[in-house]
Amino acid sequence: MPSTAPPSAPDSARDSDTATPGSAPGNPQTWRDHYASRPWLRHYGQMPTQLPVPQYHNLVEMLVESAATYGTRKAFTTVTGNGMNGSMTYAQVDAQSNDVAVYLREHLGLPPGSRVAIQMLNSLSYPVAAFGILKAGCVLVNVNPLYTAEEMVKQFNDAQVETLLVIDLFADKLAQVVPRTPLKHVVISSIAQGFPVIPKFIVHNVLKYWSRMVPEVKLPGDMQAVSFPQMLRTGNHLRKHASIEVKQYWQHLRGDDIAVLQYTGGTTGIAKGARLSHGNLLKNVDQLDATARSHMDEGKEVMLTCLPLYHIFAFSVNLLAFFKAGGHNILVPVPRPIQKLQRAIENYPITWMTGVNTLFNAMINEEWFWRHPPKHLRAAIAGGAALHESVAKRWEEVTGTRLIEGYGLTESSPVVTFNPLEGDVRPGSIGVPVPDTDILLIDDEGQVVAPGEPGELLVAGPQVMQGYWEKPEETAKTLIDGWLHTGDIAVMDDDGFLYIVDRKKDMVIVSGFNVYPNEIEDAIAKIHAVQEVAVIGVPDSNTGEAVRAYVVKRGEVTAEEIIQHCRQHLAPYKVPKQIEFREELPTTPIGKILRKDLRQEYLEAHPENQP
Amino acid sequence: MNTWEESLLSLLMIFIMFGMGASLTFRDFGTALRHPHAVGIGFASQYLFMPFIAYMLAIGLGLNTPQTVSLVLMGCVPGGTTSNILTYFARGHLGLSIMMTICSTLAAVIMVPLILVFYTSGMGDEFVIPSREIVVILGVLLVPSLLGMATRKLNANTGATFELLGSLLGIFVILFLIGMWIPRNTETLGNTPWTVYAAVVGLGLCGFVIGYWFARATGLEPVKARTVSLETGIQNGPLAILIVAVSFTGDLQREMLLVPMLYSGFIVLTSTLVMFFYRARSLREELARDQAKVEPAK
Repeated sequence: MPSTAPPSAPDSARDSDTATPGSAPGNPQTWRDHYASRPWLRHYGQMPTQLPVPQYHNLVEMLVESAATYGTRKAFTTVTGNGMNGSMTYAQVDAQSNDVAVYLREHLGLPPGSRVAIQMLNSLSYPVAAFGILKAGCVLVNVNPLYTAEEMVKQFNDAQVETLLVIDLFADKLAQVVPRTPLKHVVISSIAQGFPVIPKFIVHNVLKYWSRMVPEVKLPGDMQAVSFPQMLRTGNHLRKHASIEVKQYWQHLRGDDIAVLQYTGGTTGIAKGARLSHGNLLKNVDQLDATARSHMDEGKEVMLTCLPLYHIFAFSVNLLAFFKAGGHNILVPVPRPIQKLQRAIENYPITWMTGVNTLFNAMINEEWFWRHPPKHLRAAIAGGAALHESVAKRWEEVTGTRLIEGYGLTESSPVVTFNPLEGDVRPGSIGVPVPDTDILLIDDEGQVVAPGEPGELLVAGPQVMQGYWEKPEETAKTLIDGWLHTGDIAVMDDDGFLYIVDRKKDMVIVSGFNVYPNEIEDAIAKIHAVQEVAVIGVPDSNTGEAVRAYVVKRGEVTAEEIIQHCRQHLAPYKVPKQIEFREELPTTPIGKILRKDLRQEYLEAHPENQP
Repeated sequence: MNTWEESLLSLLMIFIMFGMGASLTFRDFGTALRHPHAVGIGFASQYLFMPFIAYMLAIGLGLNTPQTVSLVLMGCVPGGTTSNILTYFARGHLGLSIMMTICSTLAAVIMVPLILVFYTSGMGDEFVIPSREIVVILGVLLVPSLLGMATRKLNANTGATFELLGSLLGIFVILFLIGMWIPRNTETLGNTPWTVYAAVVGLGLCGFVIGYWFARATGLEPVKARTVSLETGIQNGPLAILIVAVSFTGDLQREMLLVPMLYSGFIVLTSTLVMFFYRARSLREELARDQAKVEPAK
């Protein structure tokens, strides 16, 4: 944690308009000016401090130009655990996504702006489908493939989804979902879509008959599912024979037109669709470009994509930014167990990868990885959940490259901060805001706090969403006067580097003292026998709230021992009052522990304790 | 087994090793070489423990001289290709397995006569080690593996396809061996005393157990210990049969052949069971590693 002493006046000579807070220490207005002066800019190194003039009117222009520039280069390769693979060039992605666009608009007759959902693992059909939807002038709705039928029903109704492009592995829920949603058209693809004939045959049959993962698709009534290749053929036929110019669907799209509805649970648990516009995503691509451009050879990079593309992190960073840069994306459908990544890493000269803490941790524990780390790797990008110092350090020892932590939210397309690729490593920091992005830290009264003091992180920038889909009240609570309220409590050090303390909603107030679950979790995790831990606050008649810890053991340890350990390392009011042992903890698809699920479960089990 | 079947079997073995090779990279051998002690441990289990186990079993079960000698021979021949295939199925360290097979096969020319002289004072001189055959064995092992590795490097899809076909053929060959062997040997099987059964089955099982625990005791992690275990327990039965065939004639030859014949049959059965057990363990460890704890800093 950085020191809590007030910072000295910024001594940067470059920022002539820097406010000098010395005259009135502690004055919120002065601090506001301090944040507005962007004190982090002097740590940008080679990074441009401002974004370039926008090159494109919409995302499709960017995609089409990239396809024209890198036509014959490989854009995507899907690699399965046994090394079987299929690839597409930039030109093929461009042509097939045109077929998808024509199919959606002409064959299905969808109007512009119509919501089209994709429910897929990483595979060649994902980029073809996603780019096709954007080219059709429709709105892409990313759907988590692990959703239950119930969750799908809610999301499809909320977004009024009529068309779904789904991978066969998840099509079994459709029988329950279709009658309760506006869904009219279903296109079914497979992991091996785009593979050469023999590997396609093998992968398909292994999944179907050996792993038994491909269910029978039963659609209610007279509804017919169309296969992905069939959709491409129909679209292609229409496009050729009716000489349709796909451009007419998208050329009028502008920055504030919605491109993607990205659903997020947020902390309240109500699933909401963040409206990300073409402009939001283009700006975020530019911001990513600004941070990494000086470390990239256009058209030569190879990106390992094992995070799901339906998640906003991989969608913007891996899919959009690397497509723009002419990169070759290695798509891994299921990176679990981690062994399944071995062939992808051995067979391709990976230069970049994205991941989350647990993924990196699992990788550096694999002998095939730590003995032979990817030779061409430039750096790895961590996001999605807090990166642990021990993982970052060991990663650097093993690979000789940096593991760069960034921070973002679905609501900000997602990247807000990034550790500059040059300069010192600052352990535990999420870095500094990307170009053209402002931040503020405020306390519970809405007053701007001094640097070094914890406060809720507010973000303003061109990547911040247009609001939630048809949820004006939720939007009004989150977007206030142009500031996105992230719900994360952060601290900024004197240099403008940010450190996340915890989620605001997860903070526990014990007898008026603020307790941050992260701190207690870190303390408990130091016990060797503890595998994993989550801490929440629960209502308590004496102290208002009490600290409750959920612990997954990997060895022998008792609740008393954990409490004893906490007494040695934490102030008395932070020591957990209740400890519960679990076999596992609820997590998001990228492995972040869901404290809100534990809280909800506790409150449902103890209705008498409801505040 | 007639010549036609033998040629077919060799051809299948070549194809299988091609498939196995297609699952490997040169790095896998690099990893195996970075553990020279792992190869050393395999070597020690192979040439120290196995002959000793064979000798003790023969003494303990009161086998006669030809049976004792052939059991010790069985104990000191190197590991065979079957151990590589089963290591692949058991999700062990195939690179290490192949390295161990190569080393023990190369050393066989010197080690097998030495050990036989040591344990069977006098009879060891009778043995002829067919060095030409050893070269063939190494060729059948190495050349297709290297070609498989090259195929994978040139085209990952072709490599993966041959890997799958090779492993399917591996299952077929194992079934084929059992299917050929039992009906042709029913008469012999009925006439053989139980002590010989106990000795041939015991040799394989002791090899698995001792190989595993010796490797664990010297600090190898479970996946590699299982690889050493399979390598130790599974001997090159056909090579032992060949050595007997070229070294002896007449009734003595027939009597001496009993042990390697029985061993070759039973080892396919026992090692398949052990393989399933090891495979389940490996899968469980892979899943557990996935959930490895994020160790806190400091």
